[in-house]
Amino acid sequence: MQKHDVLVVGAGLAGQRAALEAVRAGRSVGVLSKLHPLRSHSAAAQGGINASLGPQDSPKDHIFDTVKGSDYLADQDAVEILCNDAGPTVIEMEHFGTIFNRAPDGSLDRRAFGGASYNRTIFSADRTGLALLQGLYEELSREKRIHVFEEWTAIDIVARQGVVQGVVALDRKSGAIEGFSARAVVVATGPFGRMYPNTTNSHASTGDGTALAYRAGAFLKDMEMVQFHPTCLPGSWILITEGARGEGGILKNGKGERFMTRYAPNKLELASRDVVSRAIATEVKEGRGFPDGTCHLELMHLGKEKITTKLQEIVEFCRNFAGIDPVVEAIPVYPGQHYMMGGVSTNPRAETNITGLYAAGEAACVSVHGANRLGANSLLETLVYGKIAGANAATYAAKAPESGLTQADVDLATKKLHVIWDRKQGESPAKIRQDLQKVMKENVGIYRTPEELLTAQKKVAELKGRYANVYVQDKSTTYNVNLTDALELGYLLDLAECIVAAAILRTESRGAHVRLDFPKRDDANWLKHILVQASPAGPKLSFLPVTVTSYQPMERHY
Amino acid sequence: MVRVPIEVFRGGAGTPNRFDKFELELEEHTPILTALLKIRDEIDPTLAARYSCRQAICGSCAVRVNGKSRLACVTQVGPELAKRGKLRIEPMGNQPVLRDLVVDQKPFWDRYHRIEPYLIPDPAHPMPVGKENPMSPEQVAQFQETPRCIACASCFSACPALDSDPDFLGPMALAKLFRFVVDPRDGAFHQRLETVQNQSLWLCLRCNLCVEACPKDVRPAERIVDLKWMANQEIGKREPGSKHSIGFAENIQEGGLLNERRLAMDSLGLIGTLGQLPKAITMMRHGRSIKKHPPIQGREQLDVIYNAMSGREDLQHRPMSGEGGVRGKAPTPPPAAASPPPATATTTAAAKPRPSGETKEAHP
Repeated sequence: MQKHDVLVVGAGLAGQRAALEAVRAGRSVGVLSKLHPLRSHSAAAQGGINASLGPQDSPKDHIFDTVKGSDYLADQDAVEILCNDAGPTVIEMEHFGTIFNRAPDGSLDRRAFGGASYNRTIFSADRTGLALLQGLYEELSREKRIHVFEEWTAIDIVARQGVVQGVVALDRKSGAIEGFSARAVVVATGPFGRMYPNTTNSHASTGDGTALAYRAGAFLKDMEMVQFHPTCLPGSWILITEGARGEGGILKNGKGERFMTRYAPNKLELASRDVVSRAIATEVKEGRGFPDGTCHLELMHLGKEKITTKLQEIVEFCRNFAGIDPVVEAIPVYPGQHYMMGGVSTNPRAETNITGLYAAGEAACVSVHGANRLGANSLLETLVYGKIAGANAATYAAKAPESGLTQADVDLATKKLHVIWDRKQGESPAKIRQDLQKVMKENVGIYRTPEELLTAQKKVAELKGRYANVYVQDKSTTYNVNLTDALELGYLLDLAECIVAAAILRTESRGAHVRLDFPKRDDANWLKHILVQASPAGPKLSFLPVTVTSYQPMERHY
Repeated sequence: MVRVPIEVFRGGAGTPNRFDKFELELEEHTPILTALLKIRDEIDPTLAARYSCRQAICGSCAVRVNGKSRLACVTQVGPELAKRGKLRIEPMGNQPVLRDLVVDQKPFWDRYHRIEPYLIPDPAHPMPVGKENPMSPEQVAQFQETPRCIACASCFSACPALDSDPDFLGPMALAKLFRFVVDPRDGAFHQRLETVQNQSLWLCLRCNLCVEACPKDVRPAERIVDLKWMANQEIGKREPGSKHSIGFAENIQEGGLLNERRLAMDSLGLIGTLGQLPKAITMMRHGRSIKKHPPIQGREQLDVIYNAMSGREDLQHRPMSGEGGVRGKAPTPPPAAASPPPATATTTAAAKPRPSGETKEAHP
């Protein structure tokens, strides 16, 4: 049994930032991660991180843009924290050693991004996530007191009477199962986009912590809000950063028209992501796409110098995964699943409804993104709310009673795992996962209908039935990917069920959630969050009011 | 679609080592990782492999493809098959196999952590309060391609020097060290170079296999050469590696031909050179001269070359100034060390003025 004051599950930007804060507050800190911290999905973030550091810009503008981008579903008190802390957060990362692009005068360079009134996206070429992850991991490496458990998969979050006790985890290298007793637990396990086949997310993005918190009794929030990023490479679904449009890239349909003039006459390609994704999907649906069902992103006019220096990784992605040279030809793009606005419901102190359980980053939902996240606000959220989660977890752990995690808890989790692992026959996790992905792609996309959503609900329930018979053929204790695949599939199924249930309930169109049967936003009835809690009968839905401080809902124009 | 035969290493974790053969129908541009996942999903779910982002940014999926260290997610089956006639996938080198394609990366990460991979601030130049350290384009350019490193360990897997010397830091850790050495925010420029010069800097054989293996064009071997150059500039002759390197350059500049007798003295000192006597005798027996050569014709053209190479503007230590601007001057080293080069160095180590004790004429 391992024992810490604060245990962080997940070691991407949010998890590392939480761990750093907690250890510097004097607590003993453990970090559990199923990947080496430098292999976290945070590294895949490309375009940048928002901070209103420009001469005309201000946190107030950033707050307004974020609230407007969220289609007024974001909690404005949480957005205020996010945007007010943005400048200091970016500067702190610079002091930690992050290598950012610079303006000629030596200050941090800024680029344009979707839905932003000013150029406020600080960046490192088109690998900002990697740069921040490196900078933060370097800072974390100073802290010899932190115990990082690399390549451990969490299999249970234990809570009793509404108080967290710790985590049970599986060592992927040895197959050992161990208890991690902790006074406070921070969930920072990132996205769960792998329930879609057309996702930009990494294979590891399976929502482990979010699902385990849900099973332990935590509320999830805004689960119906699934972001589709406008520009992905169809097939591989690799992301082409919004920075490409921020640097001046334009979108054209099959007729050669710059169609964004019709959808967002002012912001054009730099409207918010939900708007641009719908525009591309509509062009293709109405027969104005290219024969392969895409629209084109053109960068050629930017010139080789700009493309190869500021969009260096994009050049390689296009070459390696689409056989295209963006310096001389257009990039075929289509929207792909990119980000989950929903997650473990927290307040602006990163607290969940379970005492001692905190959450941050994409695994969580504060909510600062509401119904649609603005580009370059997610990296910011991981750091701002990762720090808040770490600080509050540390403060709580300093006075919290000893954790009551027992060997019996570990034995119970082990037993549940072995029910799956020891099964002699059944269905492979790969087959069930592929079917789940098909259901989500076909029925829970950019445009939603009640028929499709109900189909999805029925099919996900069937898949859960089949999952009860999932078969792990691999019996090895060493790096058993077949076993972790099966566990991760269980997490994805639970979360998919929540997404579908919330999407059925919300009978309006807001941000990323567009119902063809309810095409308008309905502030009178729906200016509220949907909460989801686990119950024996399945997801139990309830509501939470949206916190409005400064900005009353208005119609959105870009 | 083409028929793609793949041989995959299986073993470790108490199972016998073997190659399993699979045949798949794939598009030629299919990444090897996709092929491996297809095997896992459709044929054999017990195949162990490490992977995550599938877009060459997480660094998880490095393996050896037909003996070469490669990222599985960006190496396509078609071109590799066309070139080598087969696809043989093995785990990376220089790290023990855990199981199938998964290696224990402890040797790799241990070395990473040995270089003190974090900024060591200069107390004389504290970070500006509430704002960023300004950094000029020249300062940013000095990082070269090191920020692109994804720690995939392809270079580590390919490096033959690691095999012969367990103390060698390896290409990735040294490239990472370079990133700190040139960082204007880092105050340990001298200390870092001094440590690495004594440790393992000179164990790199410059075979360039790491450059060939690196999927992100970090070119670790070039960063190691840069570190050697900076160490020679900053610290000068200290141990056999730097003595040999500097001695070699001086030696050539002097007469245009290598004077091996003098080079041995430069590198190893008198006692060390005496130890090389048997080798010298063998060389003489084979008719190879170890005498001092007369200067070659047109030797003065060498000065032009040496001057052109001197004072590499791309590799100056450019720390932050107290005023927030750029101060192009190296910090004052401890008294024991050689004096640092001026900011706009116009001399190389080789062209440095000789200590006054040496009276030898450069051009007899």
